[in-house]
Amino acid sequence: MDSTEIITRIKNKLPGFDALSIAQNYPDEICIKISPQIFKDTCYVLHKILLSPVMMLFACDERKTASKFVINSVFVSLKSGQWVTVSMDLPQENPSFDSLAKTIHSAGLFEREIYEMFGIEPKGHPDLRRLRLHDEVWPQGNYPLRKDFKQACEGNLNEYKFNRVEGDGIFEVSVGPVHAGIIGPGHFRFSVAGEPIVNLEIRLGFTHRGVEKLFEDKNCFVAMRLSECISGDSSFAHSLSFVQAIEKICGSVIPAQAVYIRAIFLELERLYNHVNDIGGMAVDVGFSFPAAYASVLKEAILQLNYNLTGSRYLKKINVVGGILIDIDDAKKQLLLKSLENIKQDFNELVKMLYSSVSFMDRVDSTGVLRKKTAEDLGVVGIAGRASGIPLDLRKYFPSVYKEAKFKMAIQESGDVLARLRIRIFEFTESCRLIDEFTQKLSEGQKISVTPELKEGVALGYQEGWRGPVLYWLKIDSAGLIQRCKIVDPSFNNWQGLSYAVLGNIIPDFPLCNKSFDLSYSGNDL
Amino acid sequence: MTIILKIILFIVLAPFLSGLISKIKNNLRLRKGQSIFQPYYNLAKLFSKAEVVSEHASWIFGVTPFIVISSALTAALFINSISGLLLLIFVFALGRFFLALAALDAGSSFGGMGASREMFISSLVEPAFCLVIFSLFLQSGSTNLTVASIVSGIALFLITVAETSRVPVDNQETHLELTMVHEAMVLEYSGRSLALLELASYIKQMILVILVARIIFPVTMPVFAGIIIVAAVVALLEVSVAKMRLFRVADFLGVAFVLGIIAVVCAILGV
Repeated sequence: MDSTEIITRIKNKLPGFDALSIAQNYPDEICIKISPQIFKDTCYVLHKILLSPVMMLFACDERKTASKFVINSVFVSLKSGQWVTVSMDLPQENPSFDSLAKTIHSAGLFEREIYEMFGIEPKGHPDLRRLRLHDEVWPQGNYPLRKDFKQACEGNLNEYKFNRVEGDGIFEVSVGPVHAGIIGPGHFRFSVAGEPIVNLEIRLGFTHRGVEKLFEDKNCFVAMRLSECISGDSSFAHSLSFVQAIEKICGSVIPAQAVYIRAIFLELERLYNHVNDIGGMAVDVGFSFPAAYASVLKEAILQLNYNLTGSRYLKKINVVGGILIDIDDAKKQLLLKSLENIKQDFNELVKMLYSSVSFMDRVDSTGVLRKKTAEDLGVVGIAGRASGIPLDLRKYFPSVYKEAKFKMAIQESGDVLARLRIRIFEFTESCRLIDEFTQKLSEGQKISVTPELKEGVALGYQEGWRGPVLYWLKIDSAGLIQRCKIVDPSFNNWQGLSYAVLGNIIPDFPLCNKSFDLSYSGNDL
Repeated sequence: MTIILKIILFIVLAPFLSGLISKIKNNLRLRKGQSIFQPYYNLAKLFSKAEVVSEHASWIFGVTPFIVISSALTAALFINSISGLLLLIFVFALGRFFLALAALDAGSSFGGMGASREMFISSLVEPAFCLVIFSLFLQSGSTNLTVASIVSGIALFLITVAETSRVPVDNQETHLELTMVHEAMVLEYSGRSLALLELASYIKQMILVILVARIIFPVTMPVFAGIIIVAAVVALLEVSVAKMRLFRVADFLGVAFVLGIIAVVCAILGV
């Protein structure tokens, strides 16, 4: 699909549509600039014709250079494998725009984020409470992502207001942010009638580190390391998305060998996380033998990672223009041999779980997220595919995966079992992909190129193990980052969790939570 | 004198049984596991620690550990006489009643959840427990291994699993505060009080395991061997099934109840 086609389709639905400018800087990205008056309607039309949730919606502060704020909204067109960005300029005095949240639910959280970080008001938004800057410690009137923000100024502190459910026999159970296990901090406010959950409100933001601000004015080579720390369990997916954006801007052509090696590492990251989650589900239902078995298997994969790269969590191996670690023949043998053992052990694990009546009874029909709800909330990744949303970037975008005839996992029932099945299917598929990619490797090939830095804007995207990891990047000619917007799949999926647990009993919550296994730090940024 | 000796013996040996079960469990899971004496170290540590008490707690919170440990020790004195067995149920109930009160007393949300779940489970445990003891009354005088004794032994084993908060009813090892039953009730306790409560649950477990061993195995077999076998079965069960969904516990204890009825009928028929 080229840009003229998409404009025609928008015009069919929206006769008054007129674009200020249309650009297609890369084959997989279309940017449409429009005026603020038609922003809301255009987004709605795109949402409908592309059947895409709002994948990203964020602001940029360009007051210094152009005296304006810019709002970008990114949609994905799976059919053609492209990203469509709609952007508009807002004046620097009293910036505001019409909220999309009431017509496109998946925009809701993004708009709250824009409001708290930039002070740009989405008019008509039903809920503008702050997500990350907690009212108890952050005074009103601080907008940290504005360029002129240096330090929080004093002001009134408020108390966060939870949504209350009232009625006979309803009481509240508050859990967190400090938990009994070693997990990230999050506050869960359950409203329950006996054991069944009537409402769950999840309050996050406790690990907010201001990473988007930290990226700014950093050299993009230095910022590489930062991107690995956004969410520790997806460090490779994050760094890969980040370098992809830079490489698109620089126009670097990555050697084939490096592309395959990167894909192998991305799949290895998926393997250890999937096994970890499957074991975690067993832990959460007190099924301790498979849990112990899975932890042994996870350790085997981490050690394989270490032997291949020197890093158990695949850090410090990506660079702009390629990769630092080559997989030579010795490593290739090691990889293939370990993979064979891992596959065998994994099949044992799956057999153990599927043949246990007590386990299957716990996971079957627990924590159902219906397809319609998932679509409205913009749930992506494993959780989305388990509810029947066929969104996997590996399938739709031209890449080595397409050559390898990648098969996407999909389930309809949306329960814990469906999310388990997705993981099991993907594990096997990833093993096959690694096998296939390894065959393509040969010794002594070039594994990186030196990039030529340019000024520009691009979107980096990878299907991490949890879901799509998106980086929207703007750098100047010196390679300094002007704006880096990160969307981790956890961001919208947390909402999905709060809907999936409704009607389930409280003791089943940890299981539902584990089946989503979302990142706190990836959400809090 | 024998009473004091018996009490001391229970206090000294009960933690060992817990250590033994967790050692077997860990070995079954291909792990080295903690030392078999770990429960003793834990108790020693807890006894020497200061206590933190919620500001909302009343006197009930303070006296509960003493009531619970006394009830467990009282129960230990009655396991030798058939006529004393019925008392077990009431003595256990006394401890549980106060523990549930104390859990509500501290005012944390987990205590309330734990207490309500414990009461739900105990309302299912007690009828089955009564039936098993009736059956034992009817069998009294016979030392033979009969159908009635085996069935009542199995029923009591299921009750033991529920009463000692083990998988598939509860999970002692869990860190997930939302799924806890017994652990949620004692979550607010620390230091010496927690040590007393832990010790009480070790003793309770010891009592039940001894009962099961004595009912199922012939009198010629040493009690000690019987205890180890029952402990091994408990451990095996714990690693081989997943914990049940909370409301499924009714089915599990329903089986114990039905077995209890069968045991009574068999005892009446004399088989």
